[in-house]
Parts: sequence; C-alpha cells; structure tokens
Amino acid sequence: MKEQLPWWIGGPVLGLCVVAIRGLLNARLGVTGAFSEVIDRVGKRSLAFDWRGWFFFGLIAGGLLFALVRGDAGFEGYGWLTRTFTSDAWIALVLLLAGVLIGFGAKTAGGCTSGNGLTGTSMMSRAALAATATFFGTAIVVSFVIEALT
Amino acid sequence: MRLAGLLVGLVFGVTLSWTGMSDPDVIRGALLFEESYLFLFFASAVIVASVGVRLLRGRRSLLTRERIDWRSTPVQRRHIAGSVLFGTGWALADACPGPIATQLGQGIVWSLFTLAGVVAGIWVFLRRQPSAIDA
Repeated sequence: MKEQLPWWIGGPVLGLCVVAIRGLLNARLGVTGAFSEVIDRVGKRSLAFDWRGWFFFGLIAGGLLFALVRGDAGFEGYGWLTRTFTSDAWIALVLLLAGVLIGFGAKTAGGCTSGNGLTGTSMMSRAALAATATFFGTAIVVSFVIEALT
Repeated sequence: MRLAGLLVGLVFGVTLSWTGMSDPDVIRGALLFEESYLFLFFASAVIVASVGVRLLRGRRSLLTRERIDWRSTPVQRRHIAGSVLFGTGWALADACPGPIATQLGQGIVWSLFTLAGVVAGIWVFLRRQPSAIDA
C-alpha cells in the first residue's frame, strides 16, 4: 500500500461497491446518507443503525486498516492549509467552515461526490448529472482562486 | 444487511485511502488540472457502476428481495444551489464526506474539524427538514 493504487483498479472497485449495494439491497450508495443516518439516530439517542450507519463505520475502518498495513497515514501536514497558515486556529476554522458547507450543501443537493457524483450519474439521474457538473465546476474555480491568492 | 453495509464500506474506505483520495494534495492537484488521476478514477468508477446497475435492473435484490428499480429526479434549484456550497467546501478542505471518514480512520487529526463542520451542517439541515432522506 506504499504506492497509489492504479486508477484502473481503484475506479472499477469503487463502481462495484455501487453495484453491490444495488444488487444486495436495491439501495443507493451515498456517504452523506451514511453520515445522516448516524447523526439522526444518535440525535434520537439510539444506536440501532441501519446499513448506512454500518457503511459509515466501514469507511472509518477502511482508513484505519490502510494506515495500519502501511505503517503511517500516507501523507503529512494538510495540503494548502498547513503550507499557507502558520496558526493552527486558522486551519481549524477554515476546515470547520468547509465542513459546514460540505454537510449543508450536500444535504440540500441530495448527495455528495458519492451519492450524486458516482451513484446518481451511473443511474443517469438528471439531477445528479447537474449536481455533479456544478460541484466539480465550483470546486475547480474555487481551487484556482485559492491558488491565485496564496 | 448491516454486515453488507459494513463490508462494502470497508472496501470503499480502503479504496479511497489507497487511491490517495484522503490526501488533500491529490485532490488539489486534480482540481487545478495538474493530475488526471482523479478524473480517470472517477470516470472508470461511473462506467463500471452504470453498466453494473443496468444489468441488475428488473432483477431481485439478494438480501431485501425487492425488484431492482429507481426513478430519475428532475433538476431542481436545490441541486444546483446545494452543489455550489458543497463544491466550495470541497475545494477549501480538499476532502469530501468519504475521505473525511477515511482520514479519521487514518489518524489525521485535522479531519476532526472538518467532521465537526459536516455534522453541524447536516444537523442544521435535518432540523429544518426532517423528512429529507434522499441523501
């Protein structure tokens, strides 16, 4: 796991995860939905998560397994943020704000990179195609703006 | 069903980490068009998923025994507005919900802040519209 997995292996495996959830459960794979399930249940003081909650724990376990086999996290620092800001408080603030935009935005749009971008587009959902084009376009513009300012 | 969720999540998570999707510099490099990896990775995932779900349509799901089918949602304002917010957050943090979860597993302490923000954002949304369950 020292080298980046080739895209032509990683991509199809990710696609097969969508197929597996559809074939096993007739459900839509989406990470924002998985987050929501955990937040909703915990908010109701319950731990009786459905498959989406367990999918969420699987994701965390997957990251942990990767780091354990590799022996480290895979990267140091945190991208442009730790290169640009000397104050940790600023980095934390930017990440917190970004998180709110990600969570609220994905819920409003009915999905994130997985739910709309991967699952929705593979179902040829018009809403998902529009959402995916919009978030990719926005993210590209914002990245170039950050690059110009830093 | 829970075990299926856990196992597919595990495979999904390992793949996200192993393909570098948890690494903010990999995402940034893609969004600045310096690297083609993410686009090839994403496109190949979509192609495999579309062929796969198309082959399954009309059959019965193995665990829930339902007839596999789905409806397409028409484009609404919320899909665009929400995705502008989401895309901005994604570019600021260079992580989307899946990689935020895998970063947590990889022991990236910074992910706790992004995670706290995502939880707050979803929580506010659910309080306003508790019936919204499509993502």
